[in-house]
Amino acid sequence: MNIIQTQKLTKIYGTGDAAITALKDINLTVESGSFVAVMGPSGCGKSTLLHLIGGLDRPTSGTVLLDGQDIYALNDDRLTELRRQRIGFIFQFFNLLPVLNVRENAALPLVLDGINRSKASEQALQWLERVGLADRLTHRPDQLSGGQQQRVAIARALASEPALILADEPTGNLDSRASDEIAALLRQVCDEWKQSILMVTHDPRIAAYADRIIFLKDGLVVDDARLNGGSGAAQTALVREKVEAL
Amino acid sequence: MNLYFNIAWRYLAGRKTRTFLTTLAIVFGVMVIFGLNGIIPPMLDAFRRSMMTAASAVDITVSQESGGMLPASTLATVQSQEGVAAAAGLFRRNVILPTEAKGAASLKSAPALTVTIQGVDPVSFQEVRNLQVGEGRFIEPGDQQTAVISSNLAKAKGLKLGDLLTMPSAAGKTAYTVVGILADRPLPSEEVYMPLADAQAMFDRAGKITTVEARCTGGYDRKTVQDNLAARLESGVVLEEPEYGAEIFAAVSLGEVIMNAFGVIALIMGGFIIFNTFRTVVAERRRDIGMLRALGASRRYIINMVLVEGLIQGVMGTAVGMLMGYLMALLLVKMINPALQSFVRFEIGNPTFSLATIALTIGLGLGVTLVSGLAPAVAASRITPLEALRPVMTSIRRVTFSKGVLAGIILMGLAVLTFLAGDFKASLLGAFIFLVSLVLVSPALVAPLANVFGRLMSLAFAREGQIAEGNLSRQPHQAATTAATVMIGMCILLAMAGMSTSLTDGMSTYISKSMGADFMALPQSLVLGGGNMGAGSELLARIRAIDGIAAATSIRQVATQANGTAMQMIGIDPEMYPKLANLSFSDGDEKTAFAELAAGRNVMVTGLFATQNNIKRGDTLKVKTLHGEETYYVIGVATDYLNVKLATGFISQENLKNDFDSEMDLMLMANLKPGADRAAVEAQIRALIDEYPAFTLFSSSEWRSSQLGMIQAAMGLLYVLMIGLAAPSLLALMNTLAINVIERTREIGMLRAVGALRKQISRMVLSESLLLAAIGTAFGILSGIWLGYALVQAMDVTGFKMTYFFPYAGILITLAVGLIFGAVAAFFPARRAARMEIVDALRYE
Repeated sequence: MNIIQTQKLTKIYGTGDAAITALKDINLTVESGSFVAVMGPSGCGKSTLLHLIGGLDRPTSGTVLLDGQDIYALNDDRLTELRRQRIGFIFQFFNLLPVLNVRENAALPLVLDGINRSKASEQALQWLERVGLADRLTHRPDQLSGGQQQRVAIARALASEPALILADEPTGNLDSRASDEIAALLRQVCDEWKQSILMVTHDPRIAAYADRIIFLKDGLVVDDARLNGGSGAAQTALVREKVEAL
Repeated sequence: MNLYFNIAWRYLAGRKTRTFLTTLAIVFGVMVIFGLNGIIPPMLDAFRRSMMTAASAVDITVSQESGGMLPASTLATVQSQEGVAAAAGLFRRNVILPTEAKGAASLKSAPALTVTIQGVDPVSFQEVRNLQVGEGRFIEPGDQQTAVISSNLAKAKGLKLGDLLTMPSAAGKTAYTVVGILADRPLPSEEVYMPLADAQAMFDRAGKITTVEARCTGGYDRKTVQDNLAARLESGVVLEEPEYGAEIFAAVSLGEVIMNAFGVIALIMGGFIIFNTFRTVVAERRRDIGMLRALGASRRYIINMVLVEGLIQGVMGTAVGMLMGYLMALLLVKMINPALQSFVRFEIGNPTFSLATIALTIGLGLGVTLVSGLAPAVAASRITPLEALRPVMTSIRRVTFSKGVLAGIILMGLAVLTFLAGDFKASLLGAFIFLVSLVLVSPALVAPLANVFGRLMSLAFAREGQIAEGNLSRQPHQAATTAATVMIGMCILLAMAGMSTSLTDGMSTYISKSMGADFMALPQSLVLGGGNMGAGSELLARIRAIDGIAAATSIRQVATQANGTAMQMIGIDPEMYPKLANLSFSDGDEKTAFAELAAGRNVMVTGLFATQNNIKRGDTLKVKTLHGEETYYVIGVATDYLNVKLATGFISQENLKNDFDSEMDLMLMANLKPGADRAAVEAQIRALIDEYPAFTLFSSSEWRSSQLGMIQAAMGLLYVLMIGLAAPSLLALMNTLAINVIERTREIGMLRAVGALRKQISRMVLSESLLLAAIGTAFGILSGIWLGYALVQAMDVTGFKMTYFFPYAGILITLAVGLIFGAVAAFFPARRAARMEIVDALRYE
């Protein structure tokens, strides 16, 4: 069963001579419960793809089906509601609210959804325990390391138990050790808690944690590779090969 | 709501200085509005108590419309009216009990008491009123020179039964034995009841009454009885008390409007500051807001979040502002009272705050905050979720020709047109339109002006000035809002400075013209109609008889109505008056006017009256007199010092006697013969005046300097108020600079990293502040000159003959204040910027 299906998804920025085609007639699917990485050189359209799948931007033509539902048939308010309930976001710069503590940040999507605060906080706590931050609940973001902040962001993305998690360069702002920890955590999210993940990254080592890698170039899908679950280092080497082939 | 509040509160608490500065802006506006509205009711109340007789509980009160004597037949008419059970004739007048001290010293002594004299026939009066006596007895038939006084007056004067109460009278002074003290009443009043004949003698009005009071027979409808009675009354006789002091109420309510306008201006400036802060806040939090949108917060949610933050500040600012306003009102009352006591002989009570005032203040305080926060809140809601993902470089906006700027240019043209129209109202309107147009146009002018002033600046700070100029130009809207706030403050400052110069000049001209006699015997209250006790004509005759007096004259006054509006008539002696004093003419021939006054029913009116009633020279006035309406011809528009703010007409004493039956002298003036011994003459006049405790003798030069001193003191108070009103400009500057420094932390870190000295960073902030202040002050001076001119023109038309002076000194003062504000505002932000550690600043999110 597919959680995501894109149909002839096209995005063109600008008009006339200045028009730039970021994505061109993309048709792809993501199976429910899988961990998919999107790779490609700068400007290949990978971020645009992620934004369009997440309902943050509107396509020039084509559409995205989430669980079979056409998300661009919705108006802005309904689309906002859909983001709130069905999609979890993980950003490169973590984007935690500096004035809220760890527990409050993680509970934010639930509170926005109108869930009662103590219940939201309870649910947030469960996820914070799972990502290993049970002892940092009352800390403010500026009292945490980058890796810890990203764990809070992951707990926040999971808190509303969405259908899909979108991660935009989740390790782009972390050192290599923290990056490995975050990638392993995402793998765990997929394996143990059965979440579907779509992750944009340019780091082959991180992409190697995924089940499948989609390669984009100049707005087109140029390769779609399934990894066979070999050892970490072997997989990384495989990914590197593919990247260099592009 | 809970989450909004939580997030908002923590953002506010996290930026304590900024929150404090923004909230201070609201505090200030609320303080001004709340405080002033707290003083105005007790002020009006004090006027009312001082000017009007305490209203009593009777069914029907009949009096002369002009405030004079009733025709002899009135009492019989009322008594014979069907439905009237009892009626009594009264002689009722206000009189001011003199203070103990004499001479100039009395200007500073305890306040004089205004008491209401009630001359009554005890039998018929008690049938109507049935007053309850607390101690002693009421007046009885056959009593002579006895008095029953209110408990309030007994307390105030320390009088007991059997004591003598001495009061000024037409014959000088008379003593009355206190035979009774009235029971306490819910409305405290200062009243003296005495036999009718005694009261008539006191005012030299044998056989006359001023008032008829009547009680209705049970079962009759009071309204019907009143209506039937009104139809039968002689012309000029009315069923209600005339509004004493209506002409003064007009002046007070004008003051109220001006004060409230100040408060609203202060709040608008507060609104600008809030608007600026919120716009910055939103810019600063683009990423947070984008993230919230990505997580699924709706647009409405973002709007509410920003508004709740505003609301918290609004609530805090309003609460603190109301407290400060209360304290300000207390302080002002303490400061004003001594001046009022010596000027018009009454005191203002403690500030009172009506429910309406409280509601208005809260409404305005919260309203301005919310309205100012609305535009930034809506802008915040338009931030797309994409902003959370990729930090966007703040783009540099060059404002050229937006809709606002275009509207501003059109308004500016309109302002010039209204100015050219020449009418003072249009000119005043034009000044305000000009202010608004400057606010609109300023975003487009910031860059070129920053360039011009920046060149000047670079003479002093060659390197830093240029960066500062660039900083301003890249956020023209923010700079324009700040400059607009400075502009409003400086405009008001300059306009008031200009007007006060003209006003002081005008007042001293009035004083030297109309109060120029060598000696003046002045009544207790300088508001002539304010319940003063006058003197019979023998006092003037005795002064004239003194050897060494060249000329002496008197001034008389009655309250009446002309063309349906309340006014007072001043009676002068057309032959003698010009020898001792003069009026300031805005229309009419100074040489022939006084002779014309003697030639028939001719009148000169004050400019205030002329403007209010649209009267010109050559028009006629229908004046209510004792024997019905009479036509007076307006032969000029002129005023003296005392009546400049009042609706007044000047007529001959002959006409005043014939038409209003008034011969009481309220003020006397005398001139020395050349070469006469001043001290000896003064001693003789003083001996005479001592018999008339209602009067105080002044030599003119001493009195003039005391009056001028008072005017200057009032202007000083006005300046303090103006600087207070300019204070929000300082706040706005500080706020903008503080925010700029916070926003540009990383840039400042970078500048330090590439080699800028701490001193240079500090200078950069100072230059920015001075540039902003210079732009605002330049606009302020431009609009202030215009507003000041329009105000002087307006005052001229409403009766103050004023000469316009171009405010050279005012411009220098305004420039100095503006630049000082600029330097002061930069202090803390500059220090903060200079003290930043490079590494921390570079890492700043």
